[in-house]
Amino acid sequence: MKMIWAVVRPESAETVIAALEEIGISSMTRIHVTGHGKEMGITSGFARYTEIPKEMLMLVLPDNDIAKAITVIKNAAKTGPKENPDAGTIGDGKIFITYVEDAYTIRTAEKTPVQK
Amino acid sequence: MKTIIAIIRPERVGETRSALEAIGFKGVTFLHVTGKGRQKGKIQTSKLAGPLSGECSIRYPFKEEQTMMELCHGEYEEKELEIGFVPKRMLIIVAHDSHVSAVVQTIIHTNQKGHHGDGRIFVCPVISALRVRTGEQGDRALS
Repeated sequence: MKMIWAVVRPESAETVIAALEEIGISSMTRIHVTGHGKEMGITSGFARYTEIPKEMLMLVLPDNDIAKAITVIKNAAKTGPKENPDAGTIGDGKIFITYVEDAYTIRTAEKTPVQK
Repeated sequence: MKTIIAIIRPERVGETRSALEAIGFKGVTFLHVTGKGRQKGKIQTSKLAGPLSGECSIRYPFKEEQTMMELCHGEYEEKELEIGFVPKRMLIIVAHDSHVSAVVQTIIHTNQKGHHGDGRIFVCPVISALRVRTGEQGDRALS
């Protein structure tokens, strides 16, 4: 079992969620966050904007589904110019994967079996 | 060292906080999040009749139902609505390995109402912790 933290553009969040639902992944948590990457935000004249709004999606999935989910998020979150939409642009986001040891459902107080 | 990430109902935050404080966990991070699970974000709404007619409020199938019924003089209609992402609170606690089960049991105990949407708890490994003020590392940063 692994946890995916995906930081995506707010405008592409809906696309990513719809794409995940299409492959049968409907459980997720959505968090509104702000941040910047190595470009240190956006500079416009003298002003520098470092708190760029993003949406963070948190999913916990069995190991088998991880690769599939990453491919789907990657393709859905990618933006680009009209002539080449698959190029990707700075600020499209990042995906992080961490380990999950245990998961519990509060309603039943049961430990969700870890699927390898 | 483990991090405990729990998703709970917003109205349970106060109770959860006091329960965790009682077992000695005073440092908790709460986040406003939205989420959905296997039910794809279904909630139950009740359209109030009587003194509060015209108002529509989101309610959870709790014991408050009783007061709601009294408030509306027994007239209210129920329907299920799919809103997608439901407001929730995420709480994050970093605890020593030996305290994890106590924290998990406390969260389950205070949040378990037996309804869909009660929440979920994830336990993930943490490599290290650092207290910024003193520079203490590892387990000492948690005490």
